[in-house]
Amino acid sequence: MSDFNPVSLFYILYESFGVWLWILLTLAVLLLAGVFASARKRLRVGGSLKRPFIAAFVVCGVVAALMTFVVPYWTLASPSALSAGIDYLFAFLAALIPGAIAGGITFMFVSRMCPPCRTSTS
Amino acid sequence: MRRREFLIGAAALGAAGSTLTSGVAAQESAARARIVIAGAGAAGLALASRLRRQMPNATITLIDAKKEHHFQPGLTLVAAGLWQPADVTERNADYVPRGVEWIEQAVTEFDPEAKIVVTDKGQRISYDFLFVATGLMLDYKAIAGMDVSLIGRNGIASIYAGPAQAAASAAAIDHFIQAGGVGLFGRPAGEMKCAGAPLKITFVTDDKARRANRRGAVKLIYNAHAPALFAVPPVNEKVKKLFSEREIAANYNHVLKAIDPGAKRATYTTPSGDVTLDYDFIHVVPPMRAPDAVRNSPLPWKSGALAADGWIEADKATLRHPRYPNVFAVGDIAGVPRGKTAASVKWQVPVVVDNLVAETAGSTPRKTYNGYTSCPMVTAIGKAMLIEFDYDGKLTPSFPFISPLEELWVSWLIEEKGLKGAYRAMLRGQA
Repeated sequence: MSDFNPVSLFYILYESFGVWLWILLTLAVLLLAGVFASARKRLRVGGSLKRPFIAAFVVCGVVAALMTFVVPYWTLASPSALSAGIDYLFAFLAALIPGAIAGGITFMFVSRMCPPCRTSTS
Repeated sequence: MRRREFLIGAAALGAAGSTLTSGVAAQESAARARIVIAGAGAAGLALASRLRRQMPNATITLIDAKKEHHFQPGLTLVAAGLWQPADVTERNADYVPRGVEWIEQAVTEFDPEAKIVVTDKGQRISYDFLFVATGLMLDYKAIAGMDVSLIGRNGIASIYAGPAQAAASAAAIDHFIQAGGVGLFGRPAGEMKCAGAPLKITFVTDDKARRANRRGAVKLIYNAHAPALFAVPPVNEKVKKLFSEREIAANYNHVLKAIDPGAKRATYTTPSGDVTLDYDFIHVVPPMRAPDAVRNSPLPWKSGALAADGWIEADKATLRHPRYPNVFAVGDIAGVPRGKTAASVKWQVPVVVDNLVAETAGSTPRKTYNGYTSCPMVTAIGKAMLIEFDYDGKLTPSFPFISPLEELWVSWLIEEKGLKGAYRAMLRGQA
């Protein structure tokens, strides 16, 4: 693995995904920005991040767990192709991408949910 | 003073100056060498990219008439019916780096004494250093009765000839599975590119038949050219076990000599004489040889196992020609044991480029190639074994968490999703 370094890995990803890499990175940045903005807003009104964080964590985990069995289709295989622990681990890691998206959206949604809003506005 | 020595001396001064100003050991050479790369396949393009970057003052000329570039590791997936020919077809023009002259002609003659290559249009190109990366020739005609035009007809498949033929092979496999009968597989006796591919297509056919609930209708026979299914013993044992589990029969020391497409009969040379087998489907892997331009030149081995097919004589650690030290052979054409895969090219190219850079910069070339090659052996759709080994047949796994002899989806993930990106990055000299 000595020849794998961040630069070569970036080029491999870029050559694999092409322009989609930039689209995905842009979406990731936007999602992160949304999460940070939501968190800041909630903190500003005196809310705690505990609830949105737990909700995001749970949603991320559940979505990733479900998507673990969908990931093989992305490689033109079926879920039955997963057999060893390392297979499940890598499928789960890949499934963390949609999981993180779902978790990020959940975080933003729960951050804006009413209980802390009511507390802060009442 | 000979031109090459002059170049080295001048470059050494340049490199020394560069080192003084930058304070960093030179990984570039300022040599104004004339470099010719014969062949714009995987090795040729990867060489061009790295040489352009590491030898900015060199004149680099790439010679190849071929405009299309095929991602050959993907041909198995085309033949499996999973990828389309377009998925493995690109343009060489998209990978020729800026500052490299591409002469769109074929090399027809190598004259290493005069340090000249001649093209099919009569152009004579002089060089200080020559990289021969012509690839190899698929010698279908060496099998009596066989012709490329037969692929996809009369139950004949062959994934090596190109994307269209791989797609035609996919259709032939599907038809065979539906019609049933006897399917023959095998490989030629000599050196060949991607020696795992004949086994892969056997496994793929078995798997597709099982998925179609037609495994009972097809009999699969693998005709090995040697007393083993694979040259690396632990891999051979594993493949034997898988064949046994999947009821794929094996014949040993069978080399395809002739086919009769009309009668669907294949004749094999064996130690006990010719043997003829009836088939309904056959996957033909042609003998592979050096192209005529190389074979007819002084560059091939003069004796030994690699001489007959015209592979270029090369030191197996440095890929440098022992009789013509300004000539290097890279990729399929190199007369070294194993090493005819894109993965080999990935490891060969940095060795020869870094050594030339070091030499022309006045330092001692130290890089060596250990024969690394890799074969993601597809054993079913969705499963593969990531087999990597060196000249000694020693397994050399790149990823400590991936067992090379275990059928894994993660190895399939690398085959189906990872290799193409890594290959393209290699062509650009970035991996």
